[in-house]
Amino acid sequence: MAAEKHDVPPAAVNANLTEREKLEIESSFRNEIVATRHRRLRRGLMFNLIGVLIFLAVWEVLPRIVPGVNIQMFPPPSGVIATLYGMLADGQLAAHAWSSLKRVAAGFVIGSSAGILVGLFTGRLALLQSMSDPVLHGLRSIPAIAFVPLAIVWFGLGETPKIALISWGTFFPVWISTFIGVRDVPKLYVQSALSLGAGPLNVMFRVVLPAAMPFVFAGLRHATAVAFVIVVAAELVGASSGLGYLISFSHLVFRIDMMFVGLLALGVLGFLADAAFAALLQRLFPWYRAERS
Amino acid sequence: MASLIEVEGVSQIFETREGKANWALWQVSLEIEAGEFVCLIGPSGCGKTTLLHLIAGFMKPSEGSVRFAGAPVGEPSPDRGVVFQEYALFGWMTARQNVEFGLRMRGMGRAERREKAREALARVGLERALERYPHELSGGMRQRVAVARALVNEPRVLLMDEPFAAVDAITRTTLQDDLVRLWQQTGVSVVFVTHNVDEAAFLAQRVVVMRPHPGSIKRSMNIDLPYPRQRSSAEFAQLYAHLGEALGE
Ligand SMILES: Nc1ncnc2c1ncn2[C@@H]1O[C@H](COP(=O)(O)OP(=O)(O)O)[C@@H](O)[C@H]1O
Ligand SMILES: [Mg+2]
Repeated sequence: MAAEKHDVPPAAVNANLTEREKLEIESSFRNEIVATRHRRLRRGLMFNLIGVLIFLAVWEVLPRIVPGVNIQMFPPPSGVIATLYGMLADGQLAAHAWSSLKRVAAGFVIGSSAGILVGLFTGRLALLQSMSDPVLHGLRSIPAIAFVPLAIVWFGLGETPKIALISWGTFFPVWISTFIGVRDVPKLYVQSALSLGAGPLNVMFRVVLPAAMPFVFAGLRHATAVAFVIVVAAELVGASSGLGYLISFSHLVFRIDMMFVGLLALGVLGFLADAAFAALLQRLFPWYRAERS
Repeated sequence: MASLIEVEGVSQIFETREGKANWALWQVSLEIEAGEFVCLIGPSGCGKTTLLHLIAGFMKPSEGSVRFAGAPVGEPSPDRGVVFQEYALFGWMTARQNVEFGLRMRGMGRAERREKAREALARVGLERALERYPHELSGGMRQRVAVARALVNEPRVLLMDEPFAAVDAITRTTLQDDLVRLWQQTGVSVVFVTHNVDEAAFLAQRVVVMRPHPGSIKRSMNIDLPYPRQRSSAEFAQLYAHLGEALGE
């Protein structure tokens, strides 16, 4: 609608446009496009905000009007915000978030590196694929959080079991999507590379991996979500820091408001991690969608 | 002296989806000289791509032998440059990086590589598109990059599989003009697959007509019209009719 609003006469009507008039039309056309884009963006953001406000309002009202609900059990935003502020001010929240983030980052790096390597080799070598398929798919079918007790038995209560669990859990989605990306790399790319003199390793790391990168990235994105699930599960039992610990501790001391702060922090971190991935995907692989469209 | 490319009694069998045998090529023999421009022409499915891939070394023939420069064809090699029909440029590399790829595989230093890639792209008229990605180029420009990418390795033969089939007719004729010029400048052999009679008549010194079921060579015709050929000339019209007949009979 907005795009149709600029009432510039079509060039054909006036064949004697001077160069200057042409430039003027072009510049006003460009300005119009930019203005429209900004308007859309602003409108989008405004509605985002309205959605959040409605959510908060409902949350604020609900515990007060629904009969039988105790404000202690279901604290409204006004109750949570004071706690949030206190925990931000004394650095408690940041400390817990930081512990969790460190674990997530370490496990994510280990697990996804392994996933990429294994996916690359199983995707390229049929023999390796056949050998590894039953075992990997079997292990993948076990929910990673089922390994929490085992990790504690094996690695104790320190950082190791948590990082090991996250590595384990992030490995699988990254492996699967790398494998699919590698397997489906157009044959033409590989043939081109070979006829340009590339050896097997160069084909693998300079052609197949970059061609599969958008898939790998989708796996990495999925893996971040998995990593947050596992870190919380691992911290609920046998931890003395982290957002999972914070939630479990709030339970023990019956501070539901603190529990809400922990949940809120998890939501924000997960959301930011995912948004960062989405933005990176656009930035790093502009060729990907353009090529396939 | 032996020919540059010697295809002797080559047959290629594939499995159909129903699990039956399909002879993509049957008893094909063909010799191509150094510096020669040969077009392979024939309807879809007559084994043109298969023959080209055998020469490139992407697969081994079920029967017979393919020799290049006196030795059996082994792995693919930059000596035998390939230009595909579809866009086989690496989408994550700029035009320049695509052209540099082969040189890099050879271990050439960065500065020399850049210079050579720049020259190669200039030869196909793309000196201004060095840093553009394939998705930012038109179909014709992409195929120019693909030609530059193969030529920069100084191959002895250029194997081209319907390289201009996907571009519009006007662009196609300029690409054909440029290919003839590059061929004359470099002295490279060209094996050019097409199913377009006009294209074969415009480009080739020799046209090899193929037929399907099973894929085989129907006849081979020498064309002694001088270059550059004039599409509007009477000789060209005659040649076109002649080739069309050979293909249709
Ligand atoms: N990789 C393959 N697997 C099975 N059949 C194939 C394969 N490649 C080609 N063919 C078959 O071989 C025949 C010749 O194919 P091709 O060489 O691509 O023909 P053209 O390039 O002349 O169209 C066709 O019948 C095709 O279906
Ligand atoms: Mg073909």
